[in-house]
Amino acid sequence: MVLIDLDRVSLEFRVRQFKRLTLKEFLVRGMFKRSSNPIMHVHALKNVSVRVAEGERLGILGHNGAGKSTLLKLLAGIYPPSSGSRRVVGRISSLFDIALGFELDSNGWENIHNRGYLQGETPKSIRGKVDRIAEFSELGQFLDMPVRYYSAGMMVRLAFSIATAIEPEILIVDEVLSVGDLAFQQKAGQRIRAMMSQARMIVMVSHDLQSLTNLTTRCLWMDHGRVKLEGTPGTVVKAYQQHSLQPLAAAA
Amino acid sequence: MFTYASHVWRIRHFWLSLVRMDLRTRYRRSVLGLGWSLLQPLAMTAVLCLVFSQILQNAQVSNYVPHLLTGLVCWNFMIGCALQGCQSFFLGEPYIRQCPLPLAVYPLRTTIGAFFHFTMAIMVLTVIVGIMRGAAAPAAYFSLFPSMLVLFVFGWSLAVLAGTSNVFFQDTQHLAEVGFQILFYLTPIIYRMSDVASHPSAWLLNFNPLVPFMQLIRAPLLDGAPPPVATFGWAIGMTAVAASLAATVLHKMQAKLIFHL
Repeated sequence: MVLIDLDRVSLEFRVRQFKRLTLKEFLVRGMFKRSSNPIMHVHALKNVSVRVAEGERLGILGHNGAGKSTLLKLLAGIYPPSSGSRRVVGRISSLFDIALGFELDSNGWENIHNRGYLQGETPKSIRGKVDRIAEFSELGQFLDMPVRYYSAGMMVRLAFSIATAIEPEILIVDEVLSVGDLAFQQKAGQRIRAMMSQARMIVMVSHDLQSLTNLTTRCLWMDHGRVKLEGTPGTVVKAYQQHSLQPLAAAA
Repeated sequence: MFTYASHVWRIRHFWLSLVRMDLRTRYRRSVLGLGWSLLQPLAMTAVLCLVFSQILQNAQVSNYVPHLLTGLVCWNFMIGCALQGCQSFFLGEPYIRQCPLPLAVYPLRTTIGAFFHFTMAIMVLTVIVGIMRGAAAPAAYFSLFPSMLVLFVFGWSLAVLAGTSNVFFQDTQHLAEVGFQILFYLTPIIYRMSDVASHPSAWLLNFNPLVPFMQLIRAPLLDGAPPPVATFGWAIGMTAVAASLAATVLHKMQAKLIFHL
């Protein structure tokens, strides 16, 4: 069984104005007066309750900074909730920030192995996949080069090829449908769809309303850290479109 | 605790491959490859022998240089763990942001790297000191295995503590470098305990937590005998303190560290 259950989850970031504190500052100022490096509170998620059951494909939409990606990271267990509870049954595979986390001085092959291990592969299980990953990435001899010399597009290709070479139970996807050039995008779209048909549960964030409507069974509209609307893809996408286009229509 | 350790073990392929890549990157562009890690302590020995043979008499050289070398090698490992450990969580940041793994693996990565070089140096030293002063008893050499295990756990704990502290206080590494500079002279590396025994503040050295660790390596190599049980006791005690501190810090920070990166 796979299950995601968020019960009245809130998440609050405490951010310092000047990124980090020094020990000297802490010792000197902390003793005598309030720090001149104040903490700012950011409520990224407010009282969010979501329940996703086996077989569901949940789409999340909303404008930038609405808390979509934060919600995904909380689902994946990267952020702990400040209050409320998170319960997840099943193994999560997540596709976000996929272009991060390469060892720049190592070559493509080494990074394929390393990424594979990060995703829970073993030397035995990855052996059969390496060639398929290399082939899908179409990077050819570039794989012998340190990743440092890759272009941004090549890095995303490699990352995508590795990340999607798994058989996920719960798949969490953040806006990776638009990777690479046009030809690769088509391929990537197919690959994602194939993966989605295997996964037992999907949660995805996208700005591509068309694919949300096609791929999901339920949608969630996030607005300022809250769930604004929840329902079938058709109704939520429509409401979101109307809401987003309203200011434009008014101006015209 | 047990589930944590088993989780670390389950993802061993991941951190081992990180260590492998670190080492490979370091030696990639050289003909000798990993041979460099043996050459470094060899070169250090050669230089020290050459310098001190000009200052000291031959008999003293074979006494003093091994003492200095063993001290330096242990010292380099311990501060290597602490100073490189400072960067360990930043180095692992992209992974921490993608995947909820036990945080201990990131300091572990730097510790294994430092430990590799430490082991190479110890092997070179064992041979060189054996040639200079004759072989020690087999029991002495055998005692190096548990000793190095203790040093490894101690180094790992240091790396965890330094790494966490550096996430919260960005000047940790800088302050640690200054601190270690001072500590270097408060540790019997370039001098022997017996050299300073008559100094009024020599008793301070007894409180230096690093002394028993150096003794673990020095006793078999220099005196040709396994270290006294008391030394082992001290070193293990010190390691237990550092390890439980590190475990507490990790337990507290496992969920929260991400907010501070």
